[in-house]
Amino acid sequence: MAIVALSGASQRRSRVAPLDIVLRYGTTATAATTAAIVFLVAAFLVVYAYPALAFNGFGILTHLEWNLGNQYGTGVERHGGFSGAPGASFGAIVFIVGTVVSSAFAMAIATPLAILVAIAMHYQVPRRLKTPVNTLVELMAGVPSVVYGLWGIGVLVPWIANSLGPFFAAHVPMLSFIGSGAASGNGLLATAFILAVMIFPIMAATMRDVLSTFPKIVFEGAIGLGATPWQAVTTMVLPAIRTQMFAAAMLALGRAVGETMAVLMVCGSALNQLPQSVFAPINTIAAVIVSQLDSALTDPTGMAERSLAELALILFAITLSVNLIARLIMRGGDRVKRTV
Amino acid sequence: MNEVAMSGSPVQASATRSMTRGSVLVTVRRNIGWVVSAAALCSALAILLAIFWFVLARGLPALKPQLFTTVTSGIAGGLENAILGTLMLVIFAVALVALIGFGTGIWLSSYASPKPRAFVRLLTDVLAGVPSVVVGYFGYILLVKIAGWQFSLAGGGIALMIIMLPYVVRGTDLALEAVPRELREGGFALGATYTTVLMTVSWPYALPGIFTMLLLATGIALGETAPLIYTAGWSNYLPSLHLTHSPVPYLTYVIWTFISQPFAESHALAFAAAALLMMMIVVTNVFARSWLENMARKQRGER
Amino acid sequence: MKPLRIIFALIAFSITTTAAAFAAAELLETGSSLVYPLMNLWVPVYTKEHSDVKITTQSTGSGTGISQAVAGVAQIGASDAYMSDAQLGTTHMLNIPLAISAQQINYNVPGLNDVHLNLSGPVLAGIYDGSIHFWDDAKIKDINKSVASKLPHEAIIPIHRADGSGDTFIFTQYLTFSTPSWKNGPAYGTTINWPAVPNAVGANGNPGMVQACQGAKYSIAYIGVSFLDQTNQAGLGYAALQNAAGKFVLPTESNILAAAAAKDKETPKDERISLIYGPGANSYPIINYEYAIVNPKQKDAATASEVKAFLTWTLTSGQNKSYLDKVHFIGLPASIVNLSKGQIAEIGS
Repeated sequence: MAIVALSGASQRRSRVAPLDIVLRYGTTATAATTAAIVFLVAAFLVVYAYPALAFNGFGILTHLEWNLGNQYGTGVERHGGFSGAPGASFGAIVFIVGTVVSSAFAMAIATPLAILVAIAMHYQVPRRLKTPVNTLVELMAGVPSVVYGLWGIGVLVPWIANSLGPFFAAHVPMLSFIGSGAASGNGLLATAFILAVMIFPIMAATMRDVLSTFPKIVFEGAIGLGATPWQAVTTMVLPAIRTQMFAAAMLALGRAVGETMAVLMVCGSALNQLPQSVFAPINTIAAVIVSQLDSALTDPTGMAERSLAELALILFAITLSVNLIARLIMRGGDRVKRTV
Repeated sequence: MNEVAMSGSPVQASATRSMTRGSVLVTVRRNIGWVVSAAALCSALAILLAIFWFVLARGLPALKPQLFTTVTSGIAGGLENAILGTLMLVIFAVALVALIGFGTGIWLSSYASPKPRAFVRLLTDVLAGVPSVVVGYFGYILLVKIAGWQFSLAGGGIALMIIMLPYVVRGTDLALEAVPRELREGGFALGATYTTVLMTVSWPYALPGIFTMLLLATGIALGETAPLIYTAGWSNYLPSLHLTHSPVPYLTYVIWTFISQPFAESHALAFAAAALLMMMIVVTNVFARSWLENMARKQRGER
Repeated sequence: MKPLRIIFALIAFSITTTAAAFAAAELLETGSSLVYPLMNLWVPVYTKEHSDVKITTQSTGSGTGISQAVAGVAQIGASDAYMSDAQLGTTHMLNIPLAISAQQINYNVPGLNDVHLNLSGPVLAGIYDGSIHFWDDAKIKDINKSVASKLPHEAIIPIHRADGSGDTFIFTQYLTFSTPSWKNGPAYGTTINWPAVPNAVGANGNPGMVQACQGAKYSIAYIGVSFLDQTNQAGLGYAALQNAAGKFVLPTESNILAAAAAKDKETPKDERISLIYGPGANSYPIINYEYAIVNPKQKDAATASEVKAFLTWTLTSGQNKSYLDKVHFIGLPASIVNLSKGQIAEIGS
């Protein structure tokens, strides 16, 4: 590896100060801490959810109903060696579908938007306005998620219910063929839109940053070869920063699947039914954990609480799989290591 | 291609070509991308302004000087305790995440061999997907109950740190990776040590990118509610400096809880807290950016 | 750097101002969001009179209130539901009623919002399990003969609480006690297995219920009485509910008092009893005690005495209408106050 050759050679010529050793081992220690934190969270989820894993089995992935059982009844229900309230049966399909679909929609909206905005921020905004515009876009990430939720309830949801829903019903009936279409505005569309607005600044700010540190020579070279500025950007610059765009997209996806408060306020909190249209209420794993946690605490057997932890574990597994699959698609991701 | 070589500037050549062809379509095709991107930027800013307006229109009327000198009590009151608590929590979390996040980012871009590097990157991306309520509950069971810290500053700070970590790690990692090889190799060629090269060459170059992510993460942390409800609790009184056994108030609690009250004064306080929080984020961003500009200018002056 | 200096100054200031208060006992009250507004009216007055105690109130939900009171993280857990036998298990916790609250059924039917529709438990159960689809269903017309012709042929949108809630608890108890098919089906709880009705919407918190009902025409929702002003402002109608005696009554103060009085004698010493669907011709059927869940074994004598002092105050001065009227709650009958005081006496360390 180049680094080894370089260090071998440079060690003969340059000094390796004691500070270097501190730096090397210090940073390794912090990296180990980061990994340990992730493992600790995962371990916590596995240990805490173990009773629920035994109780629910694979049923949790196939059942539609999320039933805590009769917490004020007598007796218990026993499966797999653990007991839950009588009649308890936990099925997570509604939440898994809700999480996957809302995040997918949100990414589909936010990613192209973020790329376009990053291009605009770097190439089109005049120099003097650059800092204000950058600050404004970053501010979008700083808006508290409850505020996004409040804006969602106050502005977005009524708009969907009163303007967008009827418009769709009149002109594009297939999307709103169920019942009264956008009955309350709370649903998949509102969730996807709010999530898109929340994750878009992460990608836009990162991509703009990457664009600003990207060597201008590539862009100028493309122009020199006869490309229009737009072609230069799309065919030369963007592919070269693919891996950074991917990194930003993965962080944004993480935020989308894990977003709790804002989703809770606009998703419609569907239970026991799958969405039939973009206006139908949905529920995501993160939102259902918050809304059901208090009730779960009233379950004397504790199985409800453990099942919520199992939901979190399922989300962990989904995030892990999506990340792995995306990495496989991206392939050539990690380049040659650099030295300091 | 011959055309290009003979007529000199390619821009002139293609311009001449499109003008002589007189094709409007070509002009449109050249520029449609830019028009769309400009439109995207404008709509994004429009949404941001809409949200700002939504909060400020309801929050500014409720912002009075007393908010800064009275604590939250009863159905309204002030925000002094919440403001102080938010500041304390964020400072604690930023200090912690800077230490761990920067270190991990440096390790990822400089010292890690490919397999551990890919593994840790995967881990941080997965951490980004953990819901904030799960981080909060994790903190509740581990720190509040098992460790016996009860509601505490340390618990809340650690929960926020976990939320911020993926962004800071990836940001540092990406920014340091983008430093051109030539710059670093130049440093080594001059006989500098690893640490010197990192501190004087790589870090200043990467600082804007690192800062962007740090500010982004801080913004996200400032706006979190769920993790703090389970770790920092809430207090109607000014927070003490105790790291444990002392609950900490924070602005997002006021927003989340007081908006659900049946009293108009409570709603006003909630929106005032939201307005205040957003102004804090603006101020932090502006200060950090100008400090960065200052640093950059000083460096350029030295060079 | 200037900002840093300001921050340090703020922190130093906070140290000095809190240093003096350190001798005080600190209590945490957490739990039900129904009781929270009332606690927020009580606590400032109480702490002003008793400056040696610091009380923090929090709205987190009945389940959290119970769980944190049991764990000792909070001294007073507020809950709209008494603890069940299974929950009590081997721990001995005191369920102390502090006030009586009620719930109304709101609806948004254009043209009928200023009329009080008659609704019964079986009809509501039918709406929420999907067997009654339209507002002009025969069963609804049956009990609303005077406005039967005005009922529109529109699908009913049932709105339920998505978050765990004491409101859901008392509403589903009403359905359970009045409708055998519901009793054998979803039964009651702070969260239940809501039957899948096509247009059903889940809302968060009482304000969410108000907003959802207001935004969706032809919807119906169950909302706590402390939000009666809000629902009136939003132009929503509220129903007259059928009680166990068969009469349709409105949630007026006298009807709620009548219901409370009827169950007065039946309340046991540990005060764990449901007031739903009680006897009495004028009794409003959906009322409940608001409980303070307290561990009789507090961490030390000082905390125990402060808890006792505060709770006793709420049962005496706190029962003043100036507090209760703001949230449309009613005070406890004298015999219940005595029972509660008896339970408070058990608090020690």
